Amino acid sequence: MPHLRFTFVQSPVWGKTKEQLQRDVIEGTDPITGKPVMHEIVDELTKPLSPEDSISRTIPQSAGPESFGPDHAENLQRLFMEKRMTDYLPIVLPTAERVEAMLKGTSRKPEEVVGKMSPTPGVYENWSYTVRQVAVNAVMAGAEPRYFPVILAIASIGKESISSSDNSFAEAVVINGPIRDEIGLNYHIGALGPFSHANATIGRTYTLLSLNGGNCGKVGETYMGVMGNPMNYANIVIAENERESPWEPFSVRHGFKSGENVVSIFEGWGVLSAKNSKHAVWAKEMHFAQELKNISNDQDQLFGLLAVLSPAVASYMKSEGYDSVEKLTDFLYQSQDESTPHFRSKAQINVLVTGSSNNLYWDYGGMRYVKSVSIDEWL
Amino acid sequence: MATLLRSAVLNPEGYRTVRPAGDGGNGKSHSFSSLAPRLDSIEGKTVYLIDTGFGGSGKFLDQLQAWFAERMPSVKTVRRRKTGNIFRDDTKDLWVEVKERGQAAILGVVG
Repeated sequence: MPHLRFTFVQSPVWGKTKEQLQRDVIEGTDPITGKPVMHEIVDELTKPLSPEDSISRTIPQSAGPESFGPDHAENLQRLFMEKRMTDYLPIVLPTAERVEAMLKGTSRKPEEVVGKMSPTPGVYENWSYTVRQVAVNAVMAGAEPRYFPVILAIASIGKESISSSDNSFAEAVVINGPIRDEIGLNYHIGALGPFSHANATIGRTYTLLSLNGGNCGKVGETYMGVMGNPMNYANIVIAENERESPWEPFSVRHGFKSGENVVSIFEGWGVLSAKNSKHAVWAKEMHFAQELKNISNDQDQLFGLLAVLSPAVASYMKSEGYDSVEKLTDFLYQSQDESTPHFRSKAQINVLVTGSSNNLYWDYGGMRYVKSVSIDEWL
Repeated sequence: MATLLRSAVLNPEGYRTVRPAGDGGNGKSHSFSSLAPRLDSIEGKTVYLIDTGFGGSGKFLDQLQAWFAERMPSVKTVRRRKTGNIFRDDTKDLWVEVKERGQAAILGVVG
C-alpha cells in the first residue's frame, strides 16, 4: 500500500509512563514530518484522497537485470556493495561459469522455485528465489557445489536469517546426518567458530540469501536492529557431534530416520558461554543438569532455552541419570517447587551436542526451534 | 592491476513477489487497493482504535482514547484487539465490525 497513511511517534513507546506518553507521544510531534501527532492523525482521517490514493492497480515488480557487467572485478565488488547485496566483506564474483558449477551440486532444475522469504513474514511482501538464484548467493559466499544441497534445504525453509525486528535476532542452523562428514563440517574443536570452510560458507550463504533473496538487512527500510548482531555474518552453524553424543541426534528426536541428512533452524537472541552465568560455577560436586536448570529458569520465556553442550558435559549429564534428552527436558521443565513451570511447554527446551571434550564448557541462549527439513531431497 | 572479467556476473536477487492468492508466490507484480474514502470531519463519528498486540500498542491507544475523550468528546472511540497474530492470521470478524459500525479506524502499531 504505497499511499497508506502513517503517523510516526517518538519510540520506544512500551517503556513510557502514562504521563510520558501523553507529554512526549500524544502531545509530541511526528519525528519524520515534525507535525503534531494528533493533528496529523485527525488530518489523515479527513484529508481528501489524492488521485493515486483512489486507484486500484497492479505495479509490475522485477528483480532487475539478470546480470551486471562485464566490468573490472574491483568495480563489480563495489557495485555489489553499493547495492547492499553483500555483508560488506569481499565476495566471490558470481560469473555464469561459477554458478553453473554450483548448480552441478544438485539434481534440481535451475529455474525451480526453492522458497520465499521476507524480512518479517506478514509485514513485508515475500520475495521468492530459484535454485539458480540460491546458487548465485552460494558462489558469492565462497561455498563449494558439494555443500549446495544443505544450502538449498536451508533456503527451502524460507526463514529469514536477518529479521527486520529492532531486537537484532540471530539464527542457528543445525545439521545432522552423514553429510556432515562428507562435506567436512566441523563438530569438534571450535565447532561454532570460523574453523571450517563448510561451516563458514554455508552460514554466510544463508546471510547473503536473506539479503538478496529475502529483501532483508536494508538498514532503515527492512532492518531496524538497535544493536545489530555479530552472529548475522555467518549465523550459528551447528553440526551435531553425533558420534560422541550420549543421546540420539536432534533430527531423530524430531521424527527423521537415523542416517537421514537433515537441517533444522532456530531463531532467537543467539548463544553464549555458560561460564558467563552465575550458576555455572566450578564446584566440588558438579551437577550439570541442575546448573542447566538454574540457567534455564533465568531465561526469558519468549524463545525458551537452547542448550548447546559439549560431548563431555552431555556425558556427565547422562551419568547423572539423564540417559535421554527427554528425561533431561522433563527435569528442566519441572518447577523447582509446586509453582507453575517456568516455560510454557517442554518444547521450549532444546538440547544439542557439538564441540570437543577437552574441557567442560558449553553454551546456551534463548532460541526457539523453527523447523527441520530433509537435505536428501535437494541432492 | 585491474582485471576485466570476460563474462558478466549474475544478479543474486530474488523475485519481488506477493503472497496471495492465485500466483502461488511466484508472481512478479504487486496489486494495491484504493484507500477507503475520507471523512469531512470525525466530530460525532465512531472511530475504532485497534490494538495490533505489538509491544506498547495497547498503552499508546489508552492514551489516544483519553485524548479524544478530553479534546474531542463528540468522537466515540471503540477499543478492539486485532484477532490474530501481531503480524498475520486475522479472522475477518473485526474488519466486518469496523465497516458496519465505524466510520474510521486507527491501527496502533508502535513498539
